[in-house]
Amino acid sequence: MADLTTRLGELTLKNPVMTASGTFGYGFEYHKYYDISRLGAVVVKGIRMTPSHGNPTPRVAEVTGGMLNAIGLQGPGVEKFLHGDEYLPFLRRVGATVIVNIWGTSIAEYGEVAARLDAESAGIAALEINISCPNVKAGGVAFGTDPKLAAEVVSTVRRATGLPLITKLSPNVSNIGEFARAVEAAGSDMISLINTITAMAIDIETRRPKIANRTGGFSGPALKPIAVRMVYEAARAVKVPVIGMGGICTGEDAVEFLLAGASAVAVGTANFVDPHAPLAVIDGINGYLDRHGYRSVSEIVGALEV
Amino acid sequence: MKNGEIIDNIRLKNDYHIVRFFAPEICRQARAGQFVHVRIDHRGDRILRRPFSIHNVESDGALSVVYKVVGAGTATLAELGPGTVCDLLGPLGVGFSDVPADVTPVLVAGGYGAAATFLLTRQMTQRGIFLFGARSSADVILTDVYHRAGYDVRIATNDGSEGKKGFVTGLVEQLLAEWSGGKLFFYGCGPHPMLMALARQLHSAGMPGELSIDHLMCCGVGACFACVVKIKADTPEGWKYARACTDGPVFNLDTVYVE
Repeated sequence: MADLTTRLGELTLKNPVMTASGTFGYGFEYHKYYDISRLGAVVVKGIRMTPSHGNPTPRVAEVTGGMLNAIGLQGPGVEKFLHGDEYLPFLRRVGATVIVNIWGTSIAEYGEVAARLDAESAGIAALEINISCPNVKAGGVAFGTDPKLAAEVVSTVRRATGLPLITKLSPNVSNIGEFARAVEAAGSDMISLINTITAMAIDIETRRPKIANRTGGFSGPALKPIAVRMVYEAARAVKVPVIGMGGICTGEDAVEFLLAGASAVAVGTANFVDPHAPLAVIDGINGYLDRHGYRSVSEIVGALEV
Repeated sequence: MKNGEIIDNIRLKNDYHIVRFFAPEICRQARAGQFVHVRIDHRGDRILRRPFSIHNVESDGALSVVYKVVGAGTATLAELGPGTVCDLLGPLGVGFSDVPADVTPVLVAGGYGAAATFLLTRQMTQRGIFLFGARSSADVILTDVYHRAGYDVRIATNDGSEGKKGFVTGLVEQLLAEWSGGKLFFYGCGPHPMLMALARQLHSAGMPGELSIDHLMCCGVGACFACVVKIKADTPEGWKYARACTDGPVFNLDTVYVE
């Protein structure tokens, strides 16, 4: 059994496997399948100041090797997240390592949400700044596809909290390294990538888009090679730790990301296929390390031979 | 037999099939209106599970699901033979509630929605009325099992090829006009437009009931927020989105929001 302890700057996790925001609800939903405190971290669905309805339905469509979604960040708002029994109080009770994904429709709102969470931060390990959701009209990816705005969001959140900050980058840009460097310079302690890739699917019988939002974010195993490439590029561009995700279903998938330079990984769409997927990924990483005689997971981070 | 193993998988009629899985744990817990989330393809490139209403459960652990071949997932399912093991999650979701014995249950189903209301005939001792709507006689399924359960079965088809010509809401209208018995309680399951028409009709008649509102589902456990339906709420808009998989799929008529 190799040492899976994962150090991400000042944040230490028991293992490198997290859940990707938006694919794991608020943790509560999966705790009936296994003890979610076994995960490196639970990254909850995006939180903003106020409750949001999200997008009209249909919100998802299955495609070859994955799915499109345009949920639109439906959520309870920060106050209910802080005090509603099935949200943060539940996560604290079960001892989960919690990373709160945050978003806003203005740069100021990002700062307000961060300040609000900072004020009651017991049980919160880090914040993940979502500047990459492709499915909301204001906020989200609008801030993630302009490096100046991305940096401005990060520095606003940085001023609002002392919690470790992760910035989740959009893959819908041509030079990922530029964005990684911009958010690093603005004070992000880590970066995570990739979010979904903007995509479209059409029902040819009705000649309508398969999802109501017209476009959605593509996720699932078909995405993995693109994600690995972007993680590789981002990890070479910055000194801060990188959290890699995009199509991870198995431990072997996760190892690719670690070799490419990610210090930790997240499991997303695979949660929908198998609620136990993150545990299988932890076991799979461990099996790989044992097979190859590594004593700790940190030994393979960025160990790609070129 | 392994958990999730297919016992048999046979054609009911045309594109409609019935599959029985060995699933004793799920059978023990299942209630009418709940569903199982089935991983059909463990190797291919269609990765998502498919949700199916639980049609029936037997004491020997056989759980049956009725499905229509409508796409890639159900086409694959139709090809699976006895002995194939599928991964099942369930029973999931909020099911229908029972009503007291002095209330007459009226089951209103459209198409394969008829599968989801059947367990009600076993959960409650009183006999009720089964109103079934389908496109044409080619889509009339399961009426025999409701007959055998002692229900008063009435059929409507859009083209008039079997039963009364028109929609199932026509049968509801007729029942409401002629009924002189005691209290009624409605249970609905079927396509979305049918359920919305039924909700409108029952709201204006002041009738109590529950509807199973089934939307394109993804995780099945409440995490992804794909399958949401509008329910009445104290918001500026008068509604909010609730998850069909965990807040439903069965919703009380009082909360169902009709646009």
